[in-house]
Amino acid sequence: MRRRCCRPPRMAMAAAGGQPPEPPAPSLPWAAGGQGAALPGLAPRSRRRILALLLPRLPVERLRRPGPLAIWAQRGPRRVVVAVSAEAEAAGLWAGQALADAQAILPGVALVPEDPAGDAAALERLAFWASRFTPLVGVEGGDSLLLDITGVDHLFGGEAALRAEVMGRLARLGLTARGAVAGAAGTALALVRAGQGGIVAEGEEAAAVAPLPLAALRLEPGVVGALHGLGLRDVGSLAAQPRAGLARRFGAGLVRALDEALGRAGRPISPIRPPPEMRVARDFADPVVTRAGIEAALGLLLEELCRALREAGRGARRLRLRAYRVDGAVQEAAIGTGLPSREVTHLARLFRGRLEGLEPDCGFDRLVLEATATDPLTGVQEGLGTRGHAARQEELAQLLDRLSQRLSVWRLAPRASHWPERAMRRVGAFEAVEDFPGWAAKPRPVRLLRRPPFIGAMALLPDAPPSLLRIGRAAHRVLRAEGPERLEPEWWRDRPERKLRDYYRVELASGARLWVCRIGLLAPGEEARWALHGHLP
Amino acid sequence: MPPPVPPAPLDRPALIAALRARIARLERAGAAAALAARGEDAIPLSPPIDSALPWGGLPRAALHEILAAEPGAAAGFTALVLARAGGTVLWIAPEPDAWPPGLARFGLSPARLVLVRAPRPEDGLWAMEETLRCPAVGAALLAAGAIDLTAARRLQLAAEAGGVLGLLLRPDVDTPAPTAALTRWRIGAIPSESGSPHALGDPAWSLELLRCRGGRPAAWRATWHGDRLLTGDEATQAGPARRRA
Repeated sequence: MRRRCCRPPRMAMAAAGGQPPEPPAPSLPWAAGGQGAALPGLAPRSRRRILALLLPRLPVERLRRPGPLAIWAQRGPRRVVVAVSAEAEAAGLWAGQALADAQAILPGVALVPEDPAGDAAALERLAFWASRFTPLVGVEGGDSLLLDITGVDHLFGGEAALRAEVMGRLARLGLTARGAVAGAAGTALALVRAGQGGIVAEGEEAAAVAPLPLAALRLEPGVVGALHGLGLRDVGSLAAQPRAGLARRFGAGLVRALDEALGRAGRPISPIRPPPEMRVARDFADPVVTRAGIEAALGLLLEELCRALREAGRGARRLRLRAYRVDGAVQEAAIGTGLPSREVTHLARLFRGRLEGLEPDCGFDRLVLEATATDPLTGVQEGLGTRGHAARQEELAQLLDRLSQRLSVWRLAPRASHWPERAMRRVGAFEAVEDFPGWAAKPRPVRLLRRPPFIGAMALLPDAPPSLLRIGRAAHRVLRAEGPERLEPEWWRDRPERKLRDYYRVELASGARLWVCRIGLLAPGEEARWALHGHLP
Repeated sequence: MPPPVPPAPLDRPALIAALRARIARLERAGAAAALAARGEDAIPLSPPIDSALPWGGLPRAALHEILAAEPGAAAGFTALVLARAGGTVLWIAPEPDAWPPGLARFGLSPARLVLVRAPRPEDGLWAMEETLRCPAVGAALLAAGAIDLTAARRLQLAAEAGGVLGLLLRPDVDTPAPTAALTRWRIGAIPSESGSPHALGDPAWSLELLRCRGGRPAAWRATWHGDRLLTGDEATQAGPARRRA
């Protein structure tokens, strides 16, 4: 008896002392961010963790050419080498060398002119690629990436493992890279710019950057020269100087760069794209190639995302599927909904047409589904009957969503204007449109021609209603005519040369009723211009 | 060889009527379920027309083809049908030019009208089929050129599945191809009965029912007055006047 009584408390203790339960969706950034604060006993990790990546040879390596290669540029009167491949560097070439020297040292070197726009685009593509590790990636300078890995490192087994994975993948892409993790972006950048790497523990930023040369701060050349003249050759000796004097003599930029490197001041990361509100991801050991495979994977991702949306009480307005191809390319498919939704079948249907745009050449090894815009969505009864008003509204919204993925769908809302072309304006299919009570009074056409054709008209008197209309090649006798109804252009909105119109409602001998107008006032010696503007019922 | 069995003396008209009813039930089996959820299943037009149609009005959950002999009159008649169908109405066309200030005269409010631009015919058919399958829609109109029998049959089945009234607005041709729609109309304009050359009077239409499954062709002269469709006394119940479908 006693043993049986004792067992439950022991089990409860064992459960409490074991692994803390994993959050339900560990890849959601907000879930991961909240984890550190929830664990008691640990010091609060208030600081961020940043991985800086420096790609010194990106301009050369992105060209993927065999043999020694150098990129040159015109700098004032000189032609200088700005980037060299590893083979060329081994032969004695270096960035900043005169082009003639480089050609003399290595006559067989392939020379390519500089392409800054192409380099920037390549770096941006690489930033997109890097967003597989964290949603917050920024481009820094022309050769570096900053990855905010706060709270995502545990997904890869720690910071060291994450850094190793990033470096390994970059190496497989054929890119030389240096990476450093630190608590401040400036520290990590200074380390990689000084040619170092590694991981700087929390609170040791100042010690880590102290032995680095001043070039690691990327100061202006004149400032570095002046500091060298003062005998200051590394960051540590610079940091030991009184700040007020440094700021006075060299400007606030130096102090700012120093503070950033020491981790005292933060350096903002401007993300390549604002981080999504929610996201789920899935990796595949075998790349997904077939359409059926992509659809199945998308279904799993949608289920996961919709569960998270339901827990948050929100519905998705815009979703983006990112497919990371094995060769490093990133492709996107995006959908939007008119009303917030978190229904898996509906969203999957919307994606169906968009998936055709993906090109899984050799397969995708990672799919990420992001909700880039969400709206609050609560109190929807799901799966209970389909006859209620709310269910009808939802069905209609889903239909309009499906149609607007492929076609343009709109409503017409009345506008305070008497000019026919402006009386209605297009609004979104999901906007509420109000009725306009004043219409029933005037007989108006049911169809208004978008491009009114010019027609010929004959009238007995210059100002009389037409008695014969010539539309195309056919002539039609007019039985009855109502009018004229003169519409003046809106001077506060129209250009001054716009002419007034005299509208007539005419009935032809065949019974057809037309809305025709004479454009402008009659002038002696000029022929009146007539147009057919609509069909009356 | 046994002698042929003489047919039993049967009430032939009653038998034929029963068989027709059975065929109609079989043909529109899918529509029955969709209509049960909606309540009424036919849209009233005017008493003489309703009595000529086997369903007592223009039935929902079906496709109706309208040949526009005159664009304005056809648009007016379709607006009338769409307005009476109730609910949200979709107007699908390569270049939708429906104009609510005129449609309001027939009770079709812009609050209920959604326009869809489908420049390619296959897009229009797809949009129409999706719409007809959605029970939340009251009615849908597709303005299209020629439609083959398979596509029309698909639309008819979709309308039966969703319980939606579908209108197929097509330009008038002399010899229209066979259709899968439940009814086919030709809508033209006729001079109004206004005595004055300076007043147009009420819209006057010629409504020709060219083809009607389970019914007989007929033709009417109709006038739109106020908010009612008045069918003239001289309604000719004989058959199509000008051309045969």
